[in-house]
Parts: sequence; C-alpha cells; structure tokens
Amino acid sequence: MSPNINVRDYEPVVGKSYIEELRMLASRLSGKTVLNINSTFAGGGVAEILSRLVPLFNELGVDVRWQTILGDARFFKMTKKLHNALHGKNGPISDEEFALFRETTKKNLDQIDFSGDILFIHDPQPVALIEKKHDIGREWIWRCHIDISHPDSQAWKFLQEFVSKYEAAVFSSPNFAQQLPIRQFFAPPSIDPLSDKNRELPPQMVDTVLAKYGLDRDKPLILQVSRFDWLKDPVGVIKAFELVRRNFTCQLVLAGGTASDDPESAEVLQEVKERADGNPDIHILDIPPGSDIDINALQSAANIVMQKSLREGFALTISEALWKGKPVVASAVGGIPLQVKNRLTGLLCHSIEGTAYALRQILANPEYGQWLGNNGKEHVRQHFLIVRELRDYLLMFLTLQRKEDVIYL
Amino acid sequence: MIIDWLRANWLDIVVPVLVFLGVFFVSLWLRRITYNALERWLKERKTQIGKIIISVTRGPFLHWLLILGAYIALRISVLSVQGKILGGQILASIFIAYFGWVLIRLSRELIIALYPDKTKIPGRIVTVTMTVVQVTVVVLGVLILLEVWRAPVTPILIVLIAAIIVAILAFRDIFPSLISGFQLTQQKQIKAGDLIRLGSGEEGRVEEITWRNTQIKTLDGNIIIVPNTTLMQTTITNFGKQHQAAKEPFQFSTRLHLRELTGLSASNLSQLFSSLKEIPDAVVYYHTHSFIEEFQFLTPEPTNDFASWIQDALHYDALAERLAYIDTFEFSTIEALRQRIVAVIQDFMAETPVEREAPLGSEFHFIKSISVVLPTPYIAHDLQEFVSILRKVSIGSLYFHIFEARLRLHRRTNDFSVWFEDCLGEKELAEQITRLDPYNYTMENLREIIIQACEKRL
Repeated sequence: MSPNINVRDYEPVVGKSYIEELRMLASRLSGKTVLNINSTFAGGGVAEILSRLVPLFNELGVDVRWQTILGDARFFKMTKKLHNALHGKNGPISDEEFALFRETTKKNLDQIDFSGDILFIHDPQPVALIEKKHDIGREWIWRCHIDISHPDSQAWKFLQEFVSKYEAAVFSSPNFAQQLPIRQFFAPPSIDPLSDKNRELPPQMVDTVLAKYGLDRDKPLILQVSRFDWLKDPVGVIKAFELVRRNFTCQLVLAGGTASDDPESAEVLQEVKERADGNPDIHILDIPPGSDIDINALQSAANIVMQKSLREGFALTISEALWKGKPVVASAVGGIPLQVKNRLTGLLCHSIEGTAYALRQILANPEYGQWLGNNGKEHVRQHFLIVRELRDYLLMFLTLQRKEDVIYL
Repeated sequence: MIIDWLRANWLDIVVPVLVFLGVFFVSLWLRRITYNALERWLKERKTQIGKIIISVTRGPFLHWLLILGAYIALRISVLSVQGKILGGQILASIFIAYFGWVLIRLSRELIIALYPDKTKIPGRIVTVTMTVVQVTVVVLGVLILLEVWRAPVTPILIVLIAAIIVAILAFRDIFPSLISGFQLTQQKQIKAGDLIRLGSGEEGRVEEITWRNTQIKTLDGNIIIVPNTTLMQTTITNFGKQHQAAKEPFQFSTRLHLRELTGLSASNLSQLFSSLKEIPDAVVYYHTHSFIEEFQFLTPEPTNDFASWIQDALHYDALAERLAYIDTFEFSTIEALRQRIVAVIQDFMAETPVEREAPLGSEFHFIKSISVVLPTPYIAHDLQEFVSILRKVSIGSLYFHIFEARLRLHRRTNDFSVWFEDCLGEKELAEQITRLDPYNYTMENLREIIIQACEKRL
C-alpha cells in the first residue's frame, strides 16, 4: 500500500479544476461501499494499480475496500493457463482444470465477506464470484486488464458464462470489446506521475544510474524497455539501430527482465546478447523487477524511446516515456495507436526500415523530437494518468444503472 | 447677626462676584471672537473635522469659562487657605471630569467621521478604537484627579505601565492587523462588495473587513478569511463593485464522459458505411467530437475519427480529406451531420469500386459517448464574475456549454450566448459568441477568445 498518497498532490500535475471535479463526483458516492476483489495484494499490474487507487478513493471519502481470493498452486497454475489462452496462446484446458476453478471459487464464495454496494472484480481469476449475485444482488462490474482481442475460443466460452451475468465489463482498449449482452466500457490503464517510475529525478541520480550500467552520457541514447520476449521484437530493434548507426553516433539500450514463469525469456535474452555481441554501442540490460528508479533514469536520459512490438496489449512503457517528454517510435499494434497519434505525439512504423527512418528523422531534428515529446506529455496528462482512471471508475459507479446518453447528476 | 456680618464685609463678597462676572463676560466675548474666526476658517476649507470640534466644544466651552471665573473668584476671596484649597480641588475635579467627557464625545464623533463609507463601517474596528480612546481618557483623568487630591500616583503609574506592556506583548499580532484594517478602509483600497483577486490566486467578493481579517466569498461559494496584514502585503487586483446584475445568475456545469464500447467494428469502407446508418446518435457524436477534447492541446487539431481512420488504415486520402472538410458547425442536429458523412462516403464508394481492408488490429471500433453533467459551485451574477469564473473552470465545463449545449442538447446556440442576451441584455456580445466556430480553435484558445470578447464589454 502507499500510505502517503494524497489527491491534492496531483493538483500541480492536472490542475485544480480536475481535482475539484473528482471531489464533486466522490461526494455523490457518499454512503456507498465499493469492494475490489482480485487474486493478490502484491505483484503484478493489478495489485500495483489497486495499491495506489484504493488509498486515493478513500482519501476522497469513498469507502473502497480490497480483498483477494484464496487458491492453491494448482488453481493459480490453471488461471495462468486461462490467462494465456485469453491472450490467444493455444493451450487446451482440461475439464478437471475447469472443475478445479469452479471448486476454488465455491470455497471463496463461502469465505469472502461481500459487504459492498458495488462489487468490482478484477481479471479472470475471481470472475466466477458473480455466482454470489444470485443470493445478495448488488451491482457487479468486471474489470478486464488483459488483452482479449483474440482469445482462445474454449477459454472465452468458459469465461463468457460468468461475464454475461455482470452489470458491466470494463476493457483497456476498444479492440478488446466482445459481443456481450451487458454494457462494456472503455477505460485505458494509467500511470502514476508521482510513483518512483515516473516522478522527476534529480540529474545526479540519472547520471549515477547511467554510470552504473556503463552508458555514455554524451552519446544520444535510444531505449526500449520491455521484457525479453519475441513479441517485443528485440532483434528488429537491433537491426533498425544498426541501420541508423551508419550515419549517426548513438547508443542503444535494451532494458528488461526475464520472467520466472516464462522459460522462453532467458532464451530470447541469450539470442539478443549474441546478436549484439561485438557492438559496443548496444547495451543489453537484464534489470530485476522492482528497479523502478533505474527504469525511470534510463527513460529520463533517453533521446528516443522505442516500442517495436509485433503484438502488444497496451504498452504502458509508452505512456511512461511520453510523460517524460520523450519522442517515441513505436509499432502501430495493440493499444499503441491510442497513445501515439502518428506525427503528432510520436511516430508509428510498420517495418524495420520504417523504424530506422523514424529514428533518423528525430536524431537529425532534435527540435522535432522535442515537439513530439511535448505533445505526447500533454496527451498522457489528459488521458493516461491515474486520476483519469480514478475518474472513470467514479463515473461508472455513479451511473451504472442509468441508460441515458446524457446523464445529469 | 448675618446682616451685621454682611454690612461689615460686603466688599469681600462683592469683589469676588464682580471678578467672576467680569471673567465670565470677557471669556464669553473671547469665545465668540475665537469661534467665529474658526468657523470662517473652516468654511474656506470645508473640513468636517473642524465642524465636529466646534459643535462638540461650543457648549462645554462656556461651562469651562464659568469654572475658570469661579476659580479666580475663589482665589481672591477672603476664605481661609484651607477653604481655598478645598474649593480649588472641587472645581478642578469638576473641570477634569467634564473635559474628559467632552474628549470622549469628540473622539467618538471623529472616529465615525474618519471612516469613509458609514454604511460599510467595520463595526469592530470602530468599537475597539473608541474603547481604547475612552479607557485612555478615563485613566489619564483619574491620574490627574489623584494628583489634584494629592493621593500617591507613582505605584498606580507603575502598575499601569506594566499592564500596558503586558497588553502590547499579548496583542502584538493584533496591532498590525488593526492598523492594516484601518489602512484598508481609510485608503479605500478595498471595500465590502468589491470583486478582488489576490496574488495567491484566490478570487471573490469582499464580504466584511473586520479589525483583524477580511472575509472574502470566493467564486465557488466558499468563505475565506485573510488576515489584514497578509492582505496589505499581497498584490490585489480590484475589479470593483458588481457590474450590471444579471436577471438570472449563470450556473456553470461541467461535463465528464464515459466511453461505452458497442462491440461493433468495421474493417473496410462498406462495413463502416452500413454501421454508420444505424448506430445511435451518441456514437456519431463521439467520433465527430472526441478529438476536440483528446487533442485539445494541439494546433491544428487532428480530424474527426472517421477521416483519421480512413486515411491511416484504409489510405483513401481523398475521402479522408472530404470527411475532414465537413464543417460540423453547420449542423444543428447530429442526424443531419450523420447524413452528410454517409452521403460523402456513398459518393466516394460509387466512384471507387475496389475495396481495401484495414490491417489486422487496425479496425474501426464504434464507441458511444456517455456525458455525465453535474453542476459546479461556480455561479456568475454579472459579466465580471463570469469572466473570472471562465478563467477557472475546467475544459469539461467550457466544452459542455459550447459544444454539447448546441448540438447534443438541441439548444438554439451555446449557453453563454443565451445568458448574455436573455439575462444581461448583451445582444451584440451574444451574437459575437454565437458566430464563433468553436471547431476551429483549441479549447484554451476558445476560452481566451470568449474572455477577451467579454472584457471589451466591461
């Protein structure tokens, strides 16, 4: 949890009127209780965002609580398979595994204290808790944080049975929407401008991190931050860099980590290292999870931030880079075009050559890069900060039962 | 026996009486000359303070002369030394008490006269000042009386000085405020009813100036209390008293929005075309307006969503240009706007037989705009307040009153123009804002243009 969060601290970032409106909305929720349920209090993006959102809700005077479901290792192994299947990775899930999911849900139904007027359920693991609605009623919302644009049909069919019973579902991108009999809202994820990963760092701290990784402060730095995964196309990034390096003095940093639950990532890292071998301007950094200050420093020092993914969910690393005013060169996939409006808040590309061309344009015209970065920062300020996500949820809680296009509160 | 005594000593009685009468008449003559001269002098200068002094002291002055005559008569009388001393002490006491009473009366009249606007006198400042003067006069009078009656004064003086020092220490923070409050009202820098903006950004109408603080009712209805010393040290912009009050105040609302996914998507022009004819107005509204808020900081702003997608995903540049060219401001209903978009696409499809598909992942997703409208605490009662509030409200508020009011809520024009004309009688200003095409400006530019137009009317 983050005990020191105060809504007032966001006033210098988004303006006083923005915060005033949050308070106006929150005051209308007075007396209602919202219960969040997910699978864990720590680790993972959902826990991270809830750990910051819940104190903010409470500080606004809204009674928002947070509980987690319980499950054994077999259950979470099954939900990991379900998660991958929803991402489109084929992996048949057996009837026994589905039975285990239902059985664990049943135990949780008996153990969880469902005291809340609005039940806000996050991701697939606790989705079947909706069975409780039959007994207690109330308003139920399912928040889907994952990319289900191309789900495995077996997995989605299983999930759909539960999702259809909610009042509404919330997705992070328009292309995650499904054919469902319930209302579906679009609420992109967000970054916290006051977190270690995004707050402004003193220049000395940035220099220290650069020195720690042996980077040259005076050489233009091109950065991609992502875990080592083929879908992030690290080899494509190196190829594009090599094309640019012929004419421009610069250095490339591929910063990321390997995941213990993804055996492929170590293999990818190894191949990327081999591919970069012999080029002193390419730095492959295996950064452990939780190194937020290091990532922040690298993004702050970068001249250009890349995200040359072949497939992408939302890519919050782009919002992080834009928030630091950096020009971004990224592939037009997944949720990236929501953040990068081509030639306005960054440059979109579709090939290695296109990426190299975009990098060259910015390296040759730093003022243009600065203009893109400034636009990108404003874009993030308006749409991808945590206060916007907070506002979206407040609006949903307040208007869930209202069907008009224009709602007067 | 008494008659015998009078016969023997008649001179001892007549002389003091004659002296008393002589002093009295001479003084009476002197008073007339003095006061007449004073009145002539004041007449030329037209000072109110002099008039007060004359009116308050004219009557008592005569009585003081009587006391003076009695005192001189007493001194030349044949009374014993003890009798003369006692008589002198009694007369001196009467004079001191009377003089003190006149001083208090005079100070009260002068203090009231010193405040420029009697209807807005900060009551506590007057009361405190009067009390201080009264206490001072009484204390000095008592000290003099004690001296006259030869009572010991030194211990009382020591106690008094100690009390004054303690009081100064205890109220050391109050005195600067008191002085500041006095300066504020005396120098007419701000008055109750003025609309002011402080250097710190707070803005509102002055409700009351007390001896320590000034109460300001901010534009969002809160009361803030600013110490007078702070007020004297900050930059104040004073917009003055209320301008022409509106028949009805303007209540600023704000509009926030939710984006509802319809589940509908299109991957080519035919699909876009057929869905466009059926989707709800709220979806058409979203895709023709979302860019205004989304990219409000950009000049020029991107085009509407249909034009953007057709260019970026389908690469029909000519069609994208034709859609971008559609002037939303021309339409008074969303349905009419939809018909124009559909017609432009239909014409293009008729001349372009080959269908292009958007790349996988670049489909067009139809989104519905749900507007949530809520009143803000900001209410303008005149044009000056309107301008001050317009500087403060969120983009959502501006957007609601300009864009949503006209096209989505089917009001004849934007809300501002309706209020200018109906409640302020500002027909010209109303027409000027009505004619303004808001789609050509960023939201902040739009705000500034409206403010400038209003300020010309102030």
